[in-house]
Amino acid sequence: MQEKLPQNYSVLLTGPPGVGKFEYVIAQAREALRQGERVVFVTLDLRPDEIRTRTKALRLDLSAYEGKSFVFVDCYSATAAERLEPIPGKKTILVSSFSNLEGIGMAMSKAAQELGTPVRIFFYTISTLFLHNSTQAIAKFFQIVTSRAKTNMGYILYAVQDGVHEGMTMNLLRSLVDGVIEMRFTDAMEREVRIHHMRGMHVDPSWSPFRQMPGEGGLE
Amino acid sequence: MSAQAVHLPDRARTGIPILDERLQGGFPRPSTLLFFSEKPTEKRLFAEHFAIEGAKGGETCLYVDFYRAPQLARREFTRFGSFPQDRITFVDATSSQLLVPSSEAYHIDDVSDLLEILAVIERAIDERRPSRVIIDSMEFLADRFSKDDVFQGWRRLIDAARRAGSVICLLFINWTYRDRELNTIRAMSDFILEFQSSMRGGIIRNTMRVSQLEAGGIKTNWIPYTFRDFAGVTVYFPRILVTGPFNAGKSTVVQTLSEKAVSIDRMGTTVAFDYGNVNVMGIEAEVFGTPGQERFEFIFKIFAREVNGVLLVVDATRPQDFERARHMLALVGPKLPYVVLANKTDLPGALPSEEIARQMGLAEGTPIVRTVATRGEGVREALLVLAEMIIGVR
Repeated sequence: MQEKLPQNYSVLLTGPPGVGKFEYVIAQAREALRQGERVVFVTLDLRPDEIRTRTKALRLDLSAYEGKSFVFVDCYSATAAERLEPIPGKKTILVSSFSNLEGIGMAMSKAAQELGTPVRIFFYTISTLFLHNSTQAIAKFFQIVTSRAKTNMGYILYAVQDGVHEGMTMNLLRSLVDGVIEMRFTDAMEREVRIHHMRGMHVDPSWSPFRQMPGEGGLE
Repeated sequence: MSAQAVHLPDRARTGIPILDERLQGGFPRPSTLLFFSEKPTEKRLFAEHFAIEGAKGGETCLYVDFYRAPQLARREFTRFGSFPQDRITFVDATSSQLLVPSSEAYHIDDVSDLLEILAVIERAIDERRPSRVIIDSMEFLADRFSKDDVFQGWRRLIDAARRAGSVICLLFINWTYRDRELNTIRAMSDFILEFQSSMRGGIIRNTMRVSQLEAGGIKTNWIPYTFRDFAGVTVYFPRILVTGPFNAGKSTVVQTLSEKAVSIDRMGTTVAFDYGNVNVMGIEAEVFGTPGQERFEFIFKIFAREVNGVLLVVDATRPQDFERARHMLALVGPKLPYVVLANKTDLPGALPSEEIARQMGLAEGTPIVRTVATRGEGVREALLVLAEMIIGVR
């Protein structure tokens, strides 16, 4: 199901915690980087270092790309009161707070400017914003950032936790993007994925098992 | 040691000469500045610049930060070059959100308590009587408390700043308010600084404009700006076009203006374009000179997009070329701000400016600057006149 990703496009990836959204996002990022595209990873839930380690286990060595075709927008470290000394050769763009939606928006533009457009942006996860900002504010932020990303930057995928937001909120987010990809657990705790819809594309909306991509290791 | 007497002029300079001139030295003290945008922008850069500009000039500043721990803010401020750090006092509204102790004299321990927030800021303003106050940002409050309470708080902060004789800058991005509420906020301000950021060709373009609420007050056009390490915010024109008939002296104008200039020429005649990077009076500009010959007109189509303004160079001794000059101006677009450079005015037979205006059929009030580009005379003045026209302070 890993076809060429569309350009000037926005996607929402939904699924309950633990279903494999991160792995799915990394698989897309890995494919994009392998094809010579540029990738911005906006992290709100994980430390960049943790991502570097976890992606390595998913056969993506970010050190080969960082600073050249990959850059982090780090919204996590400052909020976790981490040490914020810059790491040489690993330029990350720091956002000081989850509440600073304006800062997050501009950091994404900065990252795109840094790498050169077009870029593929992965936003992991939008759910975290809801702990710190009103739904109304996030809705406007989401709409502006999506349209900026689509017109000026290229492609954006937001991961969102399923089952933690109100139905109205989820519907709102779904209505503001071009495509929705869903992930779920079956009763037997198998993981499944489907493309719910993709504007302008014919997709098969049936569920299929979510396995790791070929050649993948390190996942239990 | 006796306290150093610091002379506080009654204006708060922005450090952007072309703006300060229009503001008769800076923003009046006290006054209320609303830093406003509908979408994400880099307005915080401008606020930081304004705070640090004050500190560099010997003033004191209070910086209220809801988004950033003071130690991080201090580190980010070093981008602006050196300044006396102790002139900026923080109100730390972030450490408590990160559940770490604050080491600042003023800190807000519970950001869910609007009354505490206001009380701490008011106390800091009353005790320190800072020359400049930055609230970064008001949408933090707008997103958390009821409108009525927020407006009341807004008013209290402005009153406190007024008592202390401060210029208060309230940063606000509108995520949730409607027109009526925005009007309430506007009405509490003396100046509104609106900000826009857009991305074109993969590059972030920032613009701002200043409007004074008082009837007949200042109102500028959108001013493009950028950030330069150690210098802070500067006015930045990404594209000034120098055009005019063959052999009028366009390349010389570009070279005279520029610190670095490149010309793609053939036996002294420009065949592609001239380029120069210009720094005059806190204004940075990229200047592009076009060839004068008709066979290169296709280049206009490339450059004519997103031009900020035009320097139209004419040879004051060659009225037979004026028609061609008008044509070239029409090629770039008739609505752009432009200044006519009457060049070679040191040569015999140079026409007076009124005569050039008459023969060219220029609109009333079109500025004509007399230049001798080979000696650099009048060229910088012409650019400044153009800059003032572009940003609407002329």
